[in-house]
Formats: sequence, structure tokens, C-alpha cells
Amino acid sequence: MPDPCCNCEGTPRRDFLKLGLGGLVGLGFVDLLRGRARASDTPGAVDPRAAGGARAQGVNCILIWLDGGPSHYETFDPKPDAPEGVRGELKPIPTAVPGVHFCEAIPKLASVADKFTVIRSVCHKDPNHGGGNHYMMTGAPTPVPVGCGAFVTFHPSFGSVVSWKRGVRDGIPAYVSMPEMSRSGGPNFLGGKHAPFVIKGSPNSKGFRVRDVSLPAEIAAGRELGRRQLQQSLDRLKRFADAAAEDPAVDFDSHYRQALGLVTSKSAQEAFDISKEPDEVREMYGRNDFGQRLLLARRLVEAGVSFVTCYSGGWDHHTKLFESYKGSKVAELDRGLSALIVDLDRRGLLDSTLVFCLGEFGRTPKVNKDAGRDHWPHAMSILAAGAGTPRGYVLGATDAKGYHASQDIHSPEDFAATLYVKMGIDPNQHLYANASRPVQLVSGGTPIRELFA
Amino acid sequence: MEKLRSFIFAVIASAAAAYVPAARGDSPPAGYHPVFATSLSPDQKRLAVARGDTVWVFDVQSAERPVSAKLSTPGEMVFSLSWSPDGKWLASGGAGKVRVWDVAGGKASIELNGLAGRVGALAFTKDSSVLLAGDEGSVRQWRVSDGTALPQWTAHGDSVLAIELIGDGAVLATAGGDKLVKLWERESGKLVATLEGHAAQVTALAVSPDGKHLASGGADREVRVWDLSTKEKGESLPPHPAGVSDLAWLNGEKVLTACEDGSVRVAVVGKERRFERTLPAASDALYALALSADGKTAYAGGHDGEVYAWSVEKSAAEKKLAFAAEPSGAPSPPGSLSFVNDVLPVLSKAGCNAGACHAKPMGQSGFRLSVFAYDPRSDHRAIVKEIRGRRVTPNAPEESLLLRKPTMAVDHGGGRRLKKASDAYATLVRWVREGMPYGPTGTPTLVGVEVSPKEQRYTKGAAQPLRVTAKYSDASTRDVTALSDFSSNEKSVATVDETGVVKVADVPGEAVIVARYMGMVDVSRVTVPADDLLPDAFYASLPANNFIDRHIHERLKVLGLSPSDGCTDAEFLRRASLDATGKLPSPEQARAFLADDSPRKREKLIDQLLSDPAWADHWAGKWADLLRPNPFRAGVKSVYLLDQWLRDSFRQNKPYDRFVRELITARGSTHRDGPVVVFRDKREPADIGAFVAQVFLGVRMECARCHHHPNEKWSQEDFYQLAAFFAPLKRKGQGISAPISGEAEFVWFAPGGGVSHPVTGETMKPKAPDGPADAIDAARDPREALASWMTRPDNPFFARAAVNRVWAELMGRGIVHPVDDFRASNPPTNGPLLDALAKDFADHGYDLKHLVRTIMRSRAYQRSSLPNERNVADSRNFSRWYRRRPAAEVLLDAVSDVTGVRERLPGGTPDGRAVQMWNYRQESDFLDAFSRPNASADPPCERDGAGSVVQALHLMNSNRLVSKIADSTGQAAALAASKKTEKEIVEELYLLAYSRPPTEEELSIAATAFSQPGATRQSATEDVMWALINSAEFVFNH
Repeated sequence: MPDPCCNCEGTPRRDFLKLGLGGLVGLGFVDLLRGRARASDTPGAVDPRAAGGARAQGVNCILIWLDGGPSHYETFDPKPDAPEGVRGELKPIPTAVPGVHFCEAIPKLASVADKFTVIRSVCHKDPNHGGGNHYMMTGAPTPVPVGCGAFVTFHPSFGSVVSWKRGVRDGIPAYVSMPEMSRSGGPNFLGGKHAPFVIKGSPNSKGFRVRDVSLPAEIAAGRELGRRQLQQSLDRLKRFADAAAEDPAVDFDSHYRQALGLVTSKSAQEAFDISKEPDEVREMYGRNDFGQRLLLARRLVEAGVSFVTCYSGGWDHHTKLFESYKGSKVAELDRGLSALIVDLDRRGLLDSTLVFCLGEFGRTPKVNKDAGRDHWPHAMSILAAGAGTPRGYVLGATDAKGYHASQDIHSPEDFAATLYVKMGIDPNQHLYANASRPVQLVSGGTPIRELFA
Repeated sequence: MEKLRSFIFAVIASAAAAYVPAARGDSPPAGYHPVFATSLSPDQKRLAVARGDTVWVFDVQSAERPVSAKLSTPGEMVFSLSWSPDGKWLASGGAGKVRVWDVAGGKASIELNGLAGRVGALAFTKDSSVLLAGDEGSVRQWRVSDGTALPQWTAHGDSVLAIELIGDGAVLATAGGDKLVKLWERESGKLVATLEGHAAQVTALAVSPDGKHLASGGADREVRVWDLSTKEKGESLPPHPAGVSDLAWLNGEKVLTACEDGSVRVAVVGKERRFERTLPAASDALYALALSADGKTAYAGGHDGEVYAWSVEKSAAEKKLAFAAEPSGAPSPPGSLSFVNDVLPVLSKAGCNAGACHAKPMGQSGFRLSVFAYDPRSDHRAIVKEIRGRRVTPNAPEESLLLRKPTMAVDHGGGRRLKKASDAYATLVRWVREGMPYGPTGTPTLVGVEVSPKEQRYTKGAAQPLRVTAKYSDASTRDVTALSDFSSNEKSVATVDETGVVKVADVPGEAVIVARYMGMVDVSRVTVPADDLLPDAFYASLPANNFIDRHIHERLKVLGLSPSDGCTDAEFLRRASLDATGKLPSPEQARAFLADDSPRKREKLIDQLLSDPAWADHWAGKWADLLRPNPFRAGVKSVYLLDQWLRDSFRQNKPYDRFVRELITARGSTHRDGPVVVFRDKREPADIGAFVAQVFLGVRMECARCHHHPNEKWSQEDFYQLAAFFAPLKRKGQGISAPISGEAEFVWFAPGGGVSHPVTGETMKPKAPDGPADAIDAARDPREALASWMTRPDNPFFARAAVNRVWAELMGRGIVHPVDDFRASNPPTNGPLLDALAKDFADHGYDLKHLVRTIMRSRAYQRSSLPNERNVADSRNFSRWYRRRPAAEVLLDAVSDVTGVRERLPGGTPDGRAVQMWNYRQESDFLDAFSRPNASADPPCERDGAGSVVQALHLMNSNRLVSKIADSTGQAAALAASKKTEKEIVEELYLLAYSRPPTEEELSIAATAFSQPGATRQSATEDVMWALINSAEFVFNH
């Protein structure tokens, strides 16, 4: 048993020394750690600057965004003992983790629950799509109230920050979003360079190609080479090699070279071509656009994309929720997401790939008159997997009826800090927004200790 | 007695070795005797009060409530009290010890030692047999009869601030500084439940009369009610105005709360969860509350050492309890420290109130200071009074958290900020020892700081210590160099260390060193002349087309720079067309201009371009970036109307002063009057003021919204006085909410409505920054007065800000950069040039076309972008023309022009141009790749000129581009189908893309495309076109 006078990192701590050895009576060591981890001024239960180190630099992230706010009751946090009118029409089912139940709408995810963590206790106070989107995509609440229909950006999104930190590797965009950018998924003051590379279209359709990353199919290979040689010989504008001259044409050349590198790299080109994936794998994810996007996301992170957002809309079930959750949309989520996790795991990629699935908020406990639930930020569920996230773990809890997060309560800031630390980015660092005002990347968030197994 | 003695020894022997603070401090400073605890005896006859280092017992049966006992523990503060239910004992908690007093018998106390730090909570079990105490982390308990120590345990990761026994005492609740409430089995110390939810230290607990609910109050201003059987949180009360120090149940549904701002309230819990009434407040922070069992009388004490009494039923204050012959709070002795002038500067220099630490909006670890010390009163309260004054220990100053944390005597996330052997540390110790005075009224206030030397010429590699002198309202001065912060705006020229020593580097140039002390700023200018200057004759001989050139040459002379040569005609043609109209010249225009050999052809071209209607869309677009709101926030229809108004203003070449006046004073309907939409989007006077300052005055006052501007002289007062011009606006109609577009919103001036200073609460009168302080008629729209002031010829900001923007658009960089950041610490690179341009602009009726014409006619505008040896490192003095990429829409239009196929954006006309688009949301991979502003952002939206791999990928591989090039109705097809020779085709392509004919060499290289195996006229033309588009000469404006 480790020296109880010190914490895991081996540094002695004020609060512990004070309590003396006698203070250990009646407490398990784990409880003690948990107690200390919660102490408001325990400096760095997880040291943001040290966590992961070089390894964390190699972690990529796939974030599945369920736009509209998926119901925690009908996914990862069923409440069968809540009163009628709250518990809903669906039943809980056991999962691969003893004692843990999910909703019957996601049986495949239940069967692989031993591979991921479910966080049941993140909460906030913004019931608007506009605000909730922003909070959960950037880790920062909106500074002014925004309406439900608003698409706003006040702070850089996770993907943009990762793009800014990691940069482009061998011409591969650092941040991809498909089939569209989520409302608050933009770079804000980090600049256009860190906007997501959006891959539109339908990966499930025949002949689907990721735009712009491959030579145009219409141009034959020989001709392509020819025109490139022409371009190289004809591009006569003088460049100034001296760095002090800040010649934008020099940057242009460097970007062009990287782009060319991407276009001529066999492995990168194959990664973008989803048709190269064996049929049985494509089946496993589900032959629909959502599932195929997750598969494409896997291929992209394998090729070196640092952050991929898979956007799925239509999760705002104010009406006919139970019907919908029994239907194809949730089935596609269930199939595709479980396939992604299993696929990453068996390919040995789960350690270096962080996976999150979440929406703006949860949904109201009281079922409304249209058999739906409305917006409810006081409770929500987030799926987290990979990059050292514990397997088969449930973090936190909501109260007996699913109204409020009640145990191990965490804020969106804590979630953001966790994401960043897992990717080797210090959440406490300062960025400089337009007016040279220092802005903390994550303001007031602490990485969630339990997610760093 | 024997029993007591053995009791003592048994306890001492059993105490584990643990932190033991200084056993006995000094006497607390005169006037410092806060009441930290109050407790009514079980028979309701006596009120015990812990006040400073003395426990007072009052006989509250009698109307005068006289003192009936006084239990002194000199030098030892008392933090908690509890009567045993059988009335025999009174326990008091101190620092590291608990005393149990036999009040009735007047016997000497029993001491229980070995506790850790402040004993903030005490409780007896119902049968009076066990006493529990909470210290800085653990719960300890003893059997009262023989002093046997019973199980003790670590309860919280921070101080235990309250203990309550539940029911028969088998279970107890503790409240911790770690934000948690916990329930324990008393006998075993087993944790039963953790009640999470408070966002800051939990300072108070109270069990409901029926034993079923637990109320908790915290420093987060919240009172939460927990169901003890389900452990679930019930409804919380609405937030209190300050931290809740103590609370008590009035009956089953109501609680009485006492706050750190001295207020006392009756609140209804449960479903109703509301405040019922407020009792007359105490004069200072309250720390402890006691309520009589019949709910009729309440007592509370706090920081000022008074004990207040109230009749709860009547909501009336009764006479304060009188302490026997005590001198009332002694005034600060003469010569004592001032919090504002002596203590805050120490904390500021140590970085405690940096925006990264305790000055975050939520503070750090529950301790919040105001950033740049803009709110000293709040800072004083936070340090001295919050959470029962736990941050300071006046009778043992070096024990204070305030001193232990920054010296790392305890863990501190912020690291070591002070050294023990320093003046700063000594100042803090002295201040705490003096009783943490705020400072007498009449303390002189800081009015400014002065740096010396103010400006100086330096040789390379020189060093110079700066001195900062603070000036006060009583004309006194003080050297504050050691407590000032320094920064350099140009580190390549000169750096400055934290002691104020300037070190000059080895390049010529200018730098500004900013010294900052307690919200005041001054600058010291550094000039490092170039070693090898050129003779005056050289500059005199340079061709100068107008005053712009003369000013630029003056500047180049000082820095020893020589300008590049002039640009070619082809370069000028393309550059001027793109800049004035956002369009490439057509091949016909190019041929005509290049063939023309009249001496004034460039001037003629400029005039032609300025009368091209395309000017309007291109230039309106630049202001659209600054003014046009996010349509998915302000509404699609209204944003469209604003956009149309903008374009129309530019079509008319509306004088800029009139344009700004119309905008600032706009009133009417968002569905009819375009400029009104700005006021729909920006709704708070503070937002509008900040926006107007940034866009039209070039001043980023936004910083002064929350505190003194860190780099400039603007104060919060300046900021809110500007905001006040926009306060008396009324709105009616469709607010900002879904559905977004919906109905119109109306905005108009209506007297009334004001803006308050966020700290002093004073209502601000409208006053422009550095503007006249004349009173403005409250019955008239103050915005008119603001517009008049802004557009006066002698306004120091308006014309300069405008010409600076236009200059940046044409010359690649502002004379002040960033263009909207004018401040003393960011001087213009050529002050006389800026002034001359501003004057010329104002003198010519604020005519934008005149301004553009003047700039374009200058030699400076017509220079090559190729550097020479002398000016290769110059990127801000305009010794050459600086290359840049055109805006995304302009580039897209250029691509459309070269390929001959228009883009056809949704919402646009079939032959429309991208520069005519009125919102950023229309789908376009091209525009996104080339950094069109994010549609979800709020204006002003700066454009990003940086390149990216995504841009390169797009130009290289975009299917859209390929199909435009190959389009049967496009330029390439037309050329291929024509009778032109291959060389003529190439020449046409060059004129299209580059506005110049190809050289012989280029012609022969390009012609090879036609002789490639498998090439057709069509495919070769396409390939040459593609190659030209994918080159720097096309992508850049050079």
C-alpha cells in the first residue's frame, strides 16, 4: 500500500499531514483519495501540464454530436423506479457491466458497456439549443443570453483548439466535421485556418468521395502531372526567402507542397476512400449515413486527423419520443457507435483514440402531453471511451428520479478540461482574444480524476 | 478534580501527533473582536457569544439582557460555541483546542488539545454525553464524563465549518470548506452519504424541527434543503445577495438566514421557495445566528463585534446587546496602513489578482479578488470577512492563510508568490497585526503615475532602469517602481524586466514601454536610430506624388530605409482594380491601359475605377464585416435590410460623417430602417458603447468595462459614460428569441433609462471619452450629441480611425495596428502621416472616394512589392507595397471572371457576384476555405489573411473549380472554339488572370500544353488556365 502520507504523485499534501495517521480510521484508501480529489484547493489532482505527456500528443478524438439533446432516460440512465409519467415507456436492460442498466433502446451499446465509461453527472443551467450547443462544444457558456435557434460562437471549439495546437500534418486537415459544422464548432478568434474541414454528402452512397483531398476524377493521371508541371514552371512571382520579409507567397508554397504531399500519398488517399473498407466492416457499422460516417471517422483518425466531429441532427424529441427511440434513428446510433468502439478496440486504436458521444443537455423528467420530453440541462449522459478512459465504468449519478445530477457532479468546464488533458493540451493556459485580453482556454474546470484510470 | 485531571492527561496522551499551531498568539489588535459564534442555552435563559478572545454570557430573560458571565482566554480567539442540552456545560472552540466550561459552578475550564487549527464547529449529543468538534478537516469526539476520546476521522478535505446532530444523535451532518455536506454514523465514523451541490464552502447547517430535512447554507450564496431519508436535494432558495453564514429553522417551512452583507431574511422553503421578508440589517458582515426556541427572538453577531437582536414576528430591530465597559471599535491608530495604497499594490505585484488566478470571474478555489483591483471594498471584504474571517489571524498574523498560501507554507496552486524575507511580506504581516484596517477616510487616492525617463534615444545594447512615481490626491508622491508591472510593445527593439530595467536590442526602431501601477498607466518611448543613415539628399531626390510621400520619406530617413522601385503598369492596373472595385480588369481594359502612353494614365484609371458601380459592393462589404450582425441571431430579414442600406450608402458615396450619424442615431423598425438593426443586435448600452468606440473611434474600450484599462488611461467611468449615450432607448416587438425573424422590432429614444457604474452604483451621465462634460438635455436623444462630437473636425479619434482603416485596406497594414487599437502604448508608426490624412479627409467632407484617390495617387501606393536589401525587414513603414491575398469573395469573383462561369450563390442573382452576398451563411466551400468570417460570430468580424493547406487543396482539386474551367459556356471553351492561335490563347489567359501579357519564355512553356500527347485545344486551354489560377501571382494582390 502506497505511503499514506503522500498522494499518488508522491508529494506530501497539507490537508493530509494535518489530519494525522489517526484520521485513516474507518475510511478506505480509495475514499480518502476521492475525498482529497474533491477538495477545492487540491492543486492538480490531475496535473494538466503533465498528464499524458508525449503520449497524449498522439491522441486523436472522435466526437459524436447528437444535436437537439438526447434523453438520458432513454439512453444511458434509465429510472425504472421513478413514478409513471417520469420513467417513460421503455424498459431498462442489463449491460455487460454487472449492476449497470441502459435503456432497451440501445442493446448493442449495452452489450459492449464493458469497453467504455458513461458519465451521468455532468450538468449546467442553459436550456437553449444555442447556449447548450456552445457550452458543450467549447467548454464556455455564452456570455450573453442567446435564443434557442441561435447559432453563435464566442469561444473556440474543441476541434479548433486541437487544430491550432496540432496543426496540419502532411497536408491532412487537423479538424474535420461531417456532414456539417455544428453550431458552435468554429474557431472564433483562432482564425479561419482552424475552421473544420467539412465533409458533406453521403458516405453510404456509391461513388462517395471526400471533396478536395484527391485529384479530380475527371482529370486523367497523365494530364494531372502535366498540368502540375506547367504550373510549377509558370508560377513566376518572385518570392522573398528572407523570413523577415513575411512574404505570404512563401506560405502559399509551403501549403501547396503539403497539399501535394497529401494528394500523392497512397496511404492518405486510401484512408479517405471508404470503399476500400471490407463489406463486412461496412455492415457492422450499419449501411446508413450515420454509421458510415463513424467508419470514415475511424479511417480519418488512422490517417492522422486529430479531431473529427460526426454530427447527427434531429435529437430534439419534444413529441413522440418513445416511438422515435424505438425506431431506426436510435438503432443506427446503437449499431454505429458500438461498432466504432469495438472496431477501434480490436484494431488496437482505442488507447490512442478518444471517443465522446453527447448532446446539449438531457430531457425533462416529466413526459409532456405529446409523449415527448423537453429541454433539461440539470441531468445529461455522456459516453466516453478510449485514451485511458476506464472500461465498464459509470461515473456519477443522478438522483432517484433522474431530475438532478447528485453525485460526482461535474460542469461542462470539467468535461472540457478532461478532453484537453487527454489530448495533451493544458486547459488552464491563456489564449489572447481580439482585444489582447487573456482568455483562459477552460475557465474554472478541473479534469475529472476518475477518467484517468 | 482528580477525574478532571486524569481526563486532561488521558486526552493529551491519546491525541495523535498532528499539526499544532502556535499555542498562544498575541492579543488581537484593538478593535478587532468579531463575533464568530452565538448560542442560546437549552433553557433559553442565556445567550453565549464568542467575541474576539472572550466568551460573554448574557442573561436574556431580563429585558436589559445584561452580561452575566465573562470567560476570557487572552490571546486565544474563540470560533465556536455549544451548550450541552442538560445546560451544565458550555463548550468553546479555539485554535487547536476546545474548552468545556462549567458556567453554573464558575469552575475553571477543561481543555481538550491536539486539534488541528481553528475549531469551527461544536455539538453535544442529545443526552449531553458526547461532545463533537470539527477542526481543519476532521471530526473528533469525547465522552464528556471521563474525557475518553471516541472515534475520530477525517471528514473533509478542508475545514469542518458546521456540525449538526440528527435525531437521537446516531447520525451527524458535517459541512466542509470542500463544498460538501456529509452524513456519518457517529459511533463508527462511517460515511453514510455525501450531499453534493454547493459551489463553494458550506458554512451552515440546520436540521428541521421534524428531523426530516437538513438545510445547508454556503459561501455560494445558496441555501439548499436536503431530504434526510432519500438524501436528495429539494428546492433551493433563490440566491442570497451574499454568502450565507448561518441559518436556523423558524418552523417546519421557514428558515431565518444571516448573510455576509449583514442582511437577515425569513424565507419559505419547499415548493414555494421564496423570500418572505427582510429584517433590518446589521451594519457589518454577520457570522453567527441564534434563534429562540419559540421563534420570536433572533440574535446575530459578526465582524463589528456587536450582537444584534430582533423581534422576528415584528421584523423589528431591538437594542443591541451591551458589552460591559468596552471601548467601541478603536479607530485605526495614526500611521497605520491603508488597504488601497499599501496592501493591494503588494497583492497586485505578486499576481494574486491576475485574471488567471483569483481575479477570474468565479475566483480561484472560492477566493475572488477584483482584476486590476478595480473594486477595493469587495477585495477587503473577501480577505477580511468571508467565511468567518478564516483567511486572516490577527492575533498570530503569520498563521493567516493570506500569508501561508503565497509563501507555500501550505499547498498553493498559485505557487510561491512572496518571499518571507521581503518588504511585501512584512507589509502584509503588519497590516494583519493592525487588524486589517481599510484605511481612515481621507486617505489620499492615487491620481496618476509618471515614468521617467519619458522618452530617450538609445544606442544598441544599452540598458536603462526606469522609475515610476505615484501621485496622490494630496500632492504627495511615492516611488512605486518595485510594485509596478512593465511590458514592451516591441520586444525585438527593447525588452523590460520586472524591476523596470529596459534592455535595448540591436535593431533600429521604436518601442514603447508601458508601466502600470494600480490601474494607472504611463509610457516611456524608446528610439534606437539606425547606424547607417542615408544622406538627406537621397530622400530629397525621391519622387513624391503628394503629401503622403513626403511624410513617408521623413520616416524612412529616420530609420535609414530606402524605398523599393515603382511597380509596373500591369501591376498597378491589377492592384488598383482589385482594391477599388474588387474586380480583375478585363483583357480589353488591360490591353488599352498597357498600350496607353499618356503621362497621367494612372490618375485617369483611378478616376475610372472610382466611378465604377462595383466600388459600392466592394467597399460596402468591408463595412458589412464590421456592422452586419449574425442573421441567425438578429433575424434574416432585418440583416438583409441593413446590408442594403450599407450598399446604398456606398452607391451614393455618402459622406462618412453622415453615414456614421445615420447609423448611431437610427430609430424605427428593423423591418424598414436598416441601421436600426445594429441596435437590435446589440441591446446593452455597454455593448453598443464598446462597439461604437472600436469601430468608429478606433479605441478598444472593452477592457474598461470590467476594470481600468490595462494599457491605457480609460477607466470604468469613461466606459460607462460612453455607454450612457445608448441607455435611453426603448425597444418593442420581436425580441431576440426563436422564431428569429418573425415580426419587426422597433427602437426609439425615450427619456429615462440609465447606466450605473458597476462598482459605485452611481448613475452615469453621457460623456464622450475625452469629450466635453457639458450636460445633455435629458429630453433629447443624447446620441445626436455623440454623433455631433464624433464628427467635429477637431475630434481626435473619428477621422484618424477612419483614414487608418482605409489606409490598411489599401496599403496592407494600418498606420496604427491593429486598426481599432489606438492607445498611448500603441503609437502610430507615422504620426504626422496619420494626422495629415485625417485632416485632409475632414477638410474634404469625409469623402471616402477622395481619400482612396489621394492614397492611390501616392508613390507609396504605387511601389513594387519586391523588397531591396535595405527594406527587406520593414513591414510597417511602407517602404514597399505589401502583398496580401484578396478577401474570399473578391477571389471567388476573380475565379469566376477568369473561368467565365459565375458562382450562382443561393439568394443571389444569376449573374451576381460574390461581393454582393449579404450574409456569410450561403454555402460555399471556396469562401469558407478562404476565411470568410464565421456566420455565427458577432460583428465586428475581422478577416483572416492567413493561408492554409485547405485553400491549397481546394484550388488544386476542387470539383467545382474543375467544372467551371471545363464548362462549355466558359472562357476556356470559348477560346478553344475560337480562331485564335495557341499563342493568342495563352496571351488572353494571361491578360485575364494576371492583367499582363506573357513573356516569350512563358509563351513557349505554356504552348507546350497544346502539344502534349492526348491534348486537345480544349484540354490544353483548361490546363493553362488551371495552372495560372493555381499560382501565387493570381492568388495574391501584389
